[in-house]
Amino acid sequence: MAYTINVNGKSYNVDVPGDTPLLWVLRDVLGLTGTKYGCGIEVCNACNVWIDGSAEKCCKLPVKEVTQVKITTIEGLSADGQSHPIQKAWIAEQVPQCGYCQSGMIMRAAAMGSKPTDAAIDSMPNICVCGTYNRIKKAIKRAGTGEFGAYPPKP
Amino acid sequence: MSDRTIHLHQEEVKITHASEMDRRSFLKKAGGLLLAFSFEAGANRAEAAGAGTPITNYIHIGADETVTVFVGGGEMGQGIWSGLAMGVAEDLFVAWEKIAVEPITASLSWLTGGSSGVSRRMTTFRTAGATARTLLVNAAAQTWGVDPSVCAVNNGAVINTTTNASLTYGQLAPLAATLPVPATVVLVPSTSFRVLGTAVPRKDLYGKVNGQAKYGLDVVVPGMVFAAIKNCPVAGGTPKLPITKPVGALAVVALDSAVAVVATNSWAAMNLANSLSVSWNYPTDYLTQNSTNFATTASTLMNSTKPYVAGADNSGAVYTAETAGTGAAGLSTAAKTLELNYSFPYLAHCCMEVLNCTASVTPTSCELWVPTQAPNSCLKTAQALLPTLPASAFKVNVMLMGGGLGRKFEQDYVKQALQVAIALGKPVKLMYSREQDMGRDYYRPMAVSRVRVGIDAANNITALHIRNVVPSISNQRGVVLGAKGDSAGTEGVVGRSYALPNRLVEYVQHTSPIPVGYWRSVGNSFNAFVMETAIDEIATALGYDPYLLRRQLLANDARSLDVLDAAAQLGGWNTPVAAGHARGIALAPSFGSIVAQVVDISMPTTTSIKVHSVACVVDCGFAMNPNSVEAQMQGGIMHGLSAAMWGQVTFSKGVASAKNFSNYPAAKMKDAPVITVQIINSGAAASGTGEPGVPPIAPAIAAAYFKLTGKRIRTLPFFPGVTMSG
Ligand code: FES
Ligand code: FES
Repeated sequence: MAYTINVNGKSYNVDVPGDTPLLWVLRDVLGLTGTKYGCGIEVCNACNVWIDGSAEKCCKLPVKEVTQVKITTIEGLSADGQSHPIQKAWIAEQVPQCGYCQSGMIMRAAAMGSKPTDAAIDSMPNICVCGTYNRIKKAIKRAGTGEFGAYPPKP
Repeated sequence: MSDRTIHLHQEEVKITHASEMDRRSFLKKAGGLLLAFSFEAGANRAEAAGAGTPITNYIHIGADETVTVFVGGGEMGQGIWSGLAMGVAEDLFVAWEKIAVEPITASLSWLTGGSSGVSRRMTTFRTAGATARTLLVNAAAQTWGVDPSVCAVNNGAVINTTTNASLTYGQLAPLAATLPVPATVVLVPSTSFRVLGTAVPRKDLYGKVNGQAKYGLDVVVPGMVFAAIKNCPVAGGTPKLPITKPVGALAVVALDSAVAVVATNSWAAMNLANSLSVSWNYPTDYLTQNSTNFATTASTLMNSTKPYVAGADNSGAVYTAETAGTGAAGLSTAAKTLELNYSFPYLAHCCMEVLNCTASVTPTSCELWVPTQAPNSCLKTAQALLPTLPASAFKVNVMLMGGGLGRKFEQDYVKQALQVAIALGKPVKLMYSREQDMGRDYYRPMAVSRVRVGIDAANNITALHIRNVVPSISNQRGVVLGAKGDSAGTEGVVGRSYALPNRLVEYVQHTSPIPVGYWRSVGNSFNAFVMETAIDEIATALGYDPYLLRRQLLANDARSLDVLDAAAQLGGWNTPVAAGHARGIALAPSFGSIVAQVVDISMPTTTSIKVHSVACVVDCGFAMNPNSVEAQMQGGIMHGLSAAMWGQVTFSKGVASAKNFSNYPAAKMKDAPVITVQIINSGAAASGTGEPGVPPIAPAIAAAYFKLTGKRIRTLPFFPGVTMSG
């Protein structure tokens, strides 16, 4: 069955069973491998993307349910792949270690807006086995100072 | 940065101009200066794999001024590729921004483990950089017709100090490529370092913030199909044939102890594998493979009297790992004795990226794309399966690892991918679901430890007797335990510098068949808990402050004392603690580095302990990149913290309890303490930092917990059976 989905501002026709999770459509069909598989059961949040600008897990999200929404992946967070204030802050604070969780972390962090409360940061549900949490927190706060420019509007 | 002398490991370095074949085989840019440099890989865990393999790395200086370092070793987040390239930048006198780093393929590569990746190889990379610099200077001197001594180097150029003329490295590279390689070179003195010891940014950060970094699981090979693994839930079991191909699958392939289901995408393959029903031939003893049985066996072996004979079957035999003074004899005459029994679970690795490997095998070639800590072992795995192919037919592409943690030394997933690719005759990307990844691991061994302490009437510690019962990683891999026993069973309790003159440390090999492997910090991961908790318990028994007791016991170890004092200072040990909080302290040397941590916790809930802060001090001799050292300490602490809180794999009829993060939790943001790291550049031999952050955290938390609650934790994890949701 063919579905039309909007990813990073582009329309794609994908011919897959409707219950195929968005994660695997992105990775295996569209070749957008920046979004990661970590658990497949909605616990780790490695698979976080934006659905209409809000951070969501997509490892169990059937593709047939996302035909009417705007999907944003890490590849679409900024036009040049490094200019979102969160991306700049991540580089400045040297956040990534293995980096595998960071797409999900960044999509989650960027969706919170430029000045999330400590409570909001503490409630981030993403797992980083490398344990980069201290630097993530620093980077989010640093991005919130405006040092790297204003947050662009979400799609 | 320290102004003390810096000692770096000496390796035997061989440097030559690269052969034409080298140039053609991997260098896409023609021309320029290409140096090859080799040394023997003295991997410190020789039994793991790949030791003794000659290593070749390369530096290329292009006519376009690019400087590329081709470096081996597995990158799993620890920054090894950038770390080694820093050595080249230092001695070649080029700005860090101008250096590019590329991994090289496996036949030329080495084992990444024992926290030694950067520290062991730094001299080699520096010498190679200095050699390239000397060649460029000689080329400039020849061009100008002057003596090399009038030439100076600065930021990618050679300057004639008499005329102020200057030639860039790119301009000089073609001539330098024709000059003889100097026999000796001069390294930059440590007092003049511009790159080493500074927090230069890693080269791999951009791809890790925009989704472009390619991990093993991201590999796309034209025409590939997707295979998902369904392992026998009991290690060593085999699938009963035939296996019916499920509707929707492209193929099923029976493997040694697994079945692979092949489909047109990852999700379909995993789903089909999950629902596929397979009958297995279980190992004959599988019904006895229960955690309760393992505990009973450990209790029995705790009293074993079987003598250890080097080279014999030593399961259950008592190996003397360390003895000093009168050993355990003082226990019988002690005024006071303590008997402390500690117990540790099997642990899964659960790297963020599940196991995966992509393989393409044709009648004349074999290519792998694999996230691995042991590229050379992957090559050997492939060669063993395809013995008729010539060496030149193999290529191993080393992919980024989404975590390694010791799991990606193993070859199980590599062999499986190769077998499926051979069976199908087309490229295959093979992956484990998270459930498969946790369910068939080479687990951190369980361990049981008994500590007996003798104290005389004057509060002197007159005897320390430690006996550890632990499965042997080496012996399970076919290594017959010889005169040295199994160091992984007691590392962290032997060789400690505490002034305990009468000591006996024994190792008894547990006979559990559960597969075990190297897990970040290996034996230190539990032995630091044994030693440091015992010290804390002794302090309680004596009515001493645990920090001050350690100070006394470390009177003859200035280096450890410095680390301990700095941690106490950083963690505010002597300042009042907040109401409802308590502090704990622990010290652990491992892999040549010394780490002390002071934690501050508050009242635990039923599922976790709130750790507010960790003050961490590390002496790794010399921190090549302080920013990376800080990251490794923070990461090690979080890894040790997750394991201490919740990490536990139990077994029932050989089947592991761990299924996914839902019942094998990992720390999230709310669990993360504020971790402050202080580095001491003591001038001791440069040592690793990937693992040494792990061992002290669990005993430090347990010590604080005792202070807060009066309860001793002697069994890990603190909170077994906790579940986690998203
Ligand atoms: S992969 Fe989606 S939450 Fe883990
Ligand atoms: S950086 Fe490795 S899991 Fe987060």
